[in-house]
Parts: sequence; structure tokens; C-alpha cells
Amino acid sequence: MKMFTIIGKYFVLMGNVFTKPVRPSIFFKRVLDEIEQIGVDSLWIVAIVSIFMGAVLTLQVAINFEAPYIPKYLIGLSARDTMILEFSSTIICLILAGKVGSNIASEIGTMRITEQIDALEIMGVNSAGYLILPKMIAAFLTFPVLNILSIILGIFGGYAVASFTDTVMVYDYLYGLNYAFVPFYVTYSLIKICVFSLIITSVSSFYGYYTYGGALEVGQSSTKAVVYSIILILLFNLILTQLLLT
Amino acid sequence: MIEVKNISKSFNNNHVLKNVSADFVPGKISMVIGKSGSGKTVLLKSVIGLHTPDEGEIFFDKREFTKANMKFKRQIRQEIGMVFQGGALFTSSNIEDNIRFPLDLFTNMTKTEKKKRVDFCLERVNMEDSNKLFPAEISGGMQKRVSIARAIVLNPKYLFCDEPNSGLDPQTAILIDRLIKEITAEYNTTTIVNTHDMNSVIEIADNIYFIHEGQKWWEGGRDDIFYSDNKELNDFVFASDLYKKIKALAK
Repeated sequence: MKMFTIIGKYFVLMGNVFTKPVRPSIFFKRVLDEIEQIGVDSLWIVAIVSIFMGAVLTLQVAINFEAPYIPKYLIGLSARDTMILEFSSTIICLILAGKVGSNIASEIGTMRITEQIDALEIMGVNSAGYLILPKMIAAFLTFPVLNILSIILGIFGGYAVASFTDTVMVYDYLYGLNYAFVPFYVTYSLIKICVFSLIITSVSSFYGYYTYGGALEVGQSSTKAVVYSIILILLFNLILTQLLLT
Repeated sequence: MIEVKNISKSFNNNHVLKNVSADFVPGKISMVIGKSGSGKTVLLKSVIGLHTPDEGEIFFDKREFTKANMKFKRQIRQEIGMVFQGGALFTSSNIEDNIRFPLDLFTNMTKTEKKKRVDFCLERVNMEDSNKLFPAEISGGMQKRVSIARAIVLNPKYLFCDEPNSGLDPQTAILIDRLIKEITAEYNTTTIVNTHDMNSVIEIADNIYFIHEGQKWWEGGRDDIFYSDNKELNDFVFASDLYKKIKALAK
């Protein structure tokens, strides 16, 4: 019963979020601020994780492909497809659920308990639309960029392994990158990250918006935001893969 | 004028407000007093629409507010200034941005006009030259003053203050009280103040509403409070020895 109440409250909140902004110029400025906070500030973590994971992935595949009858170019192919299909969309979003999601939930939760949201409402502002919609739009616009960046940097990490170690030849790695490339995989990855961006921002905002109490409850909301975002990302990953790839 | 007619509110079968009626008139300070948990904050939040009453009606200058749609409520709210207990300033913005925020949203003023208006409001609360400071960089009393400046920036018809003196030293509390009194007279606002602070009540109240166990237990003027025989009111107002002596002297 409680679960249905939560789902109902979530959709009521989303109904309030998608309303016409009071002033388009202020709304546009809010979106730009959120792009910086949600997208630009996440660049470094996405870059670091992607480079290292691409490198490690290439090393692990190379170690497991030691048999002489397995073509070495498959190492490049596996690194590419793993980055595109799963790592740069799903795994990056699980990381961003922790970074961006907890940030959103604690920011909005703190605004709630310090009556800043009430202050917005009293001024005649639709607080849900003012606070949440710019975050959702910002994530929707920047996460696909992070996705592409992650793919490129992950593949570059693998290339660095090929260049600086003798586990795989650079020629084999590059040949594998070009071998049997399916462009739709990139589209699939982009679709997934767009859906995940909305899940992370809306679920985290929901838990922040309905925080009541004090600092302890803000922490709890933040944790719930991350946990439920991750669960929903994994669930939608399964659904979207079934819908788009099979 | 704000008319509150027979409003009741309960949370999970706990009746917090029971059939409360009150008329809050322009140019006067109406103070709502009562013990913690008596229902005065729920009353205030019901009047401004943060809670929806289970029963009863609220009128802002004859405009029905309780059953109005959200769009209409937001229009009326643009005529309301509110000073929250903790100030409720936007912590990520500096003082100037905090005060300018309602102007950005609801007026077509130029940048210069907005700057002039913000400076005027800051001057009004004796906070000139603090435009670029952030809320975390100023004291609690200053935050309250900035909150008042933000509340009056759109020349509100109605001013609500939720425990404006809580956590302030007596001198700052008196400053805030006088500011509320001056603003009420200057803008002819309908001012409603929720408070525990009996000094404030004696200092600035025009009308007093004593809320006890969710009901309006007593209503009267500032001087009437000294001569009332209402037991619960006397127990609340004259709890300290000092106020007992003042009451004895008054009698």
C-alpha cells in the first residue's frame, strides 16, 4: 500500500514539475546553472573512471584471450562494445546516481527543512517546476555528452594499454575497434542514458522534495535517492535492452 | 483584511485546529500566541495555504482562498510577504539576489530600478552595504532583517511573521519588533505575527489571539491581557515572576 502511495506522490510531483515556467529568462539561467553543476562538474569523475576502466578491461580481455586460435583483434572489439553497450551508459549512470543523485536530494532536502521551498511557494512560485525541471533538462542534455566522452576515453584507455604494454599489438587493437561495428549500439547507449538521466534527477528530487525533519532525514533521503535510482536504472536497463536489442 | 471562518485541521485524527475564526485588519498587528504545539503555526500555514484546512473558509479582501485553484492562490501569494522563523533565505545566493528574486520573477523593472529598490529595502532594515554578503556570513538577527527586506520588496498587502524573534537577543528582538510595527504602519499591511515572546506582545501587538489546544481561547487588545481572568491565558502569559509582578502592578 505504501509503495502505491509513493508512486502516486511521485507522479503528482512530476505533474507539478512539467508546468509553464514563470519567467523563461530566469528558467533558462537556472538550466545553465544546473548544466554546470550536474554535467560539467561530473566530467572529471566520468573521465577518470572511463580511462581506467577502458584500460583494465583491455588488459583483462587480453589476459583471457591467450589461446592462439582466438584472433587478437577481438580484444579491441570487446573493449569497444563493452564501453558502448554497458559501461558508458549503465555503469556511468550508477556512478552518477551516487554523485548527482545524492547532491540533488540533499540540496532540495535542505531547502525543504530550512523552509526555503515554503518561501518559494509563498512568493507564488511553483517550487517543483522552479527547482526540479531545470535539473531534469540539464541532465537530459549533458548525460549523452558524458556518454560519448566516456566511450571515447574508455577506448583511449585501451589504446594506452596497447601502446605501453605488450599484451596486445596497437594494430590488432585498432583493427578490432573498426571490426563489425554496429552504429545502432551507440543509439541504444544514448537512448539508455537519456532515460537514466530522467530517473536519477526525478527520483532524487522526489526524495529531497518530500524530506521532513532535520539533518538526519536529509541524509536518509539522500541514501534513498541513490538506492532507488540504482534499482530503477538496473530495471530499466533490462527493459530497454529487451526492447531495443532483441 | 483577512477573514478566517471556522477553520479546522487535523493530521492522522489528531485535531490540531478546531473551529478557529478571526478577522485580521489592515494597518494593525495581530499576534497569535500560544504554547508550543497549540496549533498556532498550523493556523498561520493554513491561512497562507501551505496546509489545506479540513473545514472552514479564508478570505483575502473578500477573495475566497481556501477552495481557489493553484493559479489564483499563486496570484494572491504575490501580495503576501512572509518572514520565516529561520529566515528561509536562499543560501546559494547573496543578500542582493535574495531580495531581488521576487522582483525578477514578478516585475518588469529595469536592472537599475531593481537595484534601487533592493538598496531601499536594505536601507529600510538598516542593512545597507551588505548586498554582496551571503546568508552564512551574517548573524541570525541580520538574517531576520534581510528576510523582512525580502518580504517587503513587492510592497505586500499582507505580512506574515512566524516567530520573528526566536533565537535573538533582547535588543535585536526589539529592533525587529519596531521594524514590523513601522512597516505595518507605513504600508498599511495586514500583519499577522506568531510568537512566544511576551515582550513583543506588550511592545507592538494591536490584537491578540490566544490559541489553546487548537481553539481560539481568548481574543483582545494589548491592555486587556492584564485584566483578563482567563486562567489558561494567565498561566501562559504570566508564567514568569517578572510578568506576575507586572500584572499585579497593572491591577
